[in-house]
Amino acid sequence: MAAVAAAKVQEVREITRIERIGAHSHIRGLGLDDSLEPRNVSQGMVGQLMARRAAGVVLEMIKDGKIAGRAILLAGQPGTGKTAIAMGMAQALGLDTPFTSMAGSEIYSLEMGKTEALTQAIRKSIGVRIKEETEIIEGEVVEIQVDRPATGVGAKVGKLTLKTTEMETIYDLGNKMIDSLMKEKVQAGDVITIDKATGKINRLGRSFTRARDYDATGSQTRFVQCPEGELQKRKEVVHTVTLHEVDVINSRTHGFLALFSGDTGEIKSEVRDQINAKVAEWREEGKAEIVPGVLFIDEVHMLDIECFSFLNRALENEMAPVVIMATNRGITRIRGTTYKSPHGIPIDLLDRMIIVPTSPYQEKDLKEILKIRCEEEDCEMADDALTVLTRIALETSLRYAIQLITTASLVSRKRKSTEVNIDDVKRVYSLFLDENRSSQFLKEYQDEFMFNELEEQAMEVA
Amino acid sequence: MAAEQWLKAVQEAKKTAIIQDGKRKVHFMMGDGKEMVEEYHLDTNVLTRRAWREKGKLGQDVGWAVEVGDPDPKPLDNLEVSGIRESSNTPIISRRITKVSLEWRIRNLPYPKDVYSVTAENDKTITVRTSNKKYFKKISVPDLERVGLKPEQERISFTHQFNTLIITYKKPPLLIDLEKTILQEILQLKTRKESDVQCPTS
Repeated sequence: MAAVAAAKVQEVREITRIERIGAHSHIRGLGLDDSLEPRNVSQGMVGQLMARRAAGVVLEMIKDGKIAGRAILLAGQPGTGKTAIAMGMAQALGLDTPFTSMAGSEIYSLEMGKTEALTQAIRKSIGVRIKEETEIIEGEVVEIQVDRPATGVGAKVGKLTLKTTEMETIYDLGNKMIDSLMKEKVQAGDVITIDKATGKINRLGRSFTRARDYDATGSQTRFVQCPEGELQKRKEVVHTVTLHEVDVINSRTHGFLALFSGDTGEIKSEVRDQINAKVAEWREEGKAEIVPGVLFIDEVHMLDIECFSFLNRALENEMAPVVIMATNRGITRIRGTTYKSPHGIPIDLLDRMIIVPTSPYQEKDLKEILKIRCEEEDCEMADDALTVLTRIALETSLRYAIQLITTASLVSRKRKSTEVNIDDVKRVYSLFLDENRSSQFLKEYQDEFMFNELEEQAMEVA
Repeated sequence: MAAEQWLKAVQEAKKTAIIQDGKRKVHFMMGDGKEMVEEYHLDTNVLTRRAWREKGKLGQDVGWAVEVGDPDPKPLDNLEVSGIRESSNTPIISRRITKVSLEWRIRNLPYPKDVYSVTAENDKTITVRTSNKKYFKKISVPDLERVGLKPEQERISFTHQFNTLIITYKKPPLLIDLEKTILQEILQLKTRKESDVQCPTS
C-alpha cells in the first residue's frame, strides 16, 4: 500500500515539474497551415508572415531529405525574430531530425581548431538511422515479490517470475526496476517486455488465460496471447545517431593511451573517411539511412574569412546538412580581412545562399508577442498596462519590453496583487533604463565618469 | 558456409600462437576483420576454449563471446545499474568439445531425466524442452553451421546427473576431418613459449 502511495506522489511531482523559461520557450512551431500559409498568431509565432512562409518552404525541402548542402540566411534588424524562426523550424522538424544550434563565436576555442569545430558541428547535424539488435525479455508475469527491510530504510529486494508457453525464469530486480514496475502497475497475468539495455518496461496487455478473472478490468484492457519460445529474444530496433557520435565511438584511443587524450578533442580525418565509407556501404546494403539535418549558426558575422571559405567547400559535399545562418549586420567588414561586404559574408558564399529577410514588427504584432510572453511567464496583465508596454516596445526595443514583463510582475507580486497594472510598468520603466536612455544619460554626464575622453570613432566590435 | 570456405578463412587468417599455463593459445585475425582465440590442451590437442571478439554495430568494443568452454566469470554487475538479471539459480549453459563429440552442459536443472526432450530441428538448432514447461532453449551449433550441416537426431544423446543435463552430439566424419586439418595447420605454427623473453629488461 505504502509503495502505491509513494508511486502516486512521484507521478504528481513529475507533472508539476517546472521547466525553466528561456527567451524562446514559447515557440512550438512555425505556425503554418497545411498549404504552408502562415497563420497570423499560431504556435507562439506572430507576424513576420513572408519570412515564416519562406521558412516553411525550406522546411519541406529538408523533410524531403534529398537536397544537401543548401544555405539559408536569415537577415534582419535585431529583435525581428530570426532566432525564433530557427527555433520554430527545429520544433517543426521533430526529434528525429538532428538540429544543431550554435553561435558564430563558439568556434573560437583553444581546445580545437576552427575548422574542426565547424566539421564537428556539421557532422552533428547529419543523422544515420540504423537497425540494431537489442536483447529484450518478453513474457507473462507469474509473480512479483518485493521485500522491504523491516526498518523501512535500505534497499528493497525484488524477484520477478516470468513465463512463456515453454519456460519459466526467476529474475532478481534492482531498486529502480522495482519502482518502474510499480509505476506501470504491473501485476501477475500481465504480458510485458523489458529492454535489457535500457530497462524500459512495456505493458503489452493481459494474458488470455486470465480473461476469466473478473477483477476490475477496465474497458481498455487488451488481451494478448502468452508469448512462445524463449524468454529472451533478440529484436531489431531502429534508432538515429549522428555522424559525430559514430566518430567519437570509433576515435577513442584504447588502453593506457586514453589517459593522454580527452574524450573528444580533435578527430582524425582518417577516422572520418573510414566512417564515411562504412556508412556509404551500409546505405548501399540497405542497413542504414541518412537523415540530413539542420545546422543553425547564429551571429554568423562572427565567423572569419577562413571559416567562410571552409563552409564554401563543405557545402559541396553530398553529405552536407542544410545550413541556416542568422545575422543582424548590414554592410560591414568581413572578420579577418579589411574588405567590406553585405552582412559581413563574402560575396561568393552569399551567392550560394537564399536570403530570407525579416522586417521590424508592427504595433499589433508586438502586442501579440507581449501577450504570449505574459502567458509563458504566468503573469496576468491589465489591458492598459499591455498597451503601455507595447508603446515602450515600439519606441525602445522588444527585448527591453519583455524584460519589463518579468520585473513588473515581481513588483506587482510585492504589493500582493494578482494583476500587473499600469503603475507597475511605469515603476519598472523608471527603475531600469533602456539602451536609448542609458546612452542619453552617459552623454549628459560624460564629464563625471572616469576615462572620459570622447573617442572620435565608435568602438570596433568585430 | 561450406567446409572449404571455413578452412580457407582459417588458413588465410593471420595466426599467432603461444604456449602458456599448459595450454596452446592461438589468435586468429580473419580477413573480414573478425578476431578469434582458441586454446588447445597440450597433451590431448583437444580444443578447450574458443572465443570471438564482439563488435557493436557502430564499431564500439563489446567484449568477448565465448563459443566453447566456460563463460568468462563476469564481475558481478551492480543490480542497481542493470536493474534486472537472472537469479543465480537459473540454468546456465556451457559447451565443451571432446575427441569424438560436441557436448553441452546445462547446470541448475533439478528436474528428473524423463522431463527432458532434446530434438534436432529444421532451423539448424538443437532444441531442449521440458514437459513441465520450466525450461526451453534453442541451441545453435556453430561448428555444424560452418561446415554447412544440419544437426541429426540419431547423433544426439543426453544424460542427467547432479542437477546437470549433459547433451552429447557425435561429430560427423566431415567435421572430424576438418578439425584434423586445422589442428595440423596450428601445430606447424611457430610457437613461442611463455619462458621466452620478449624484451630483455637488463
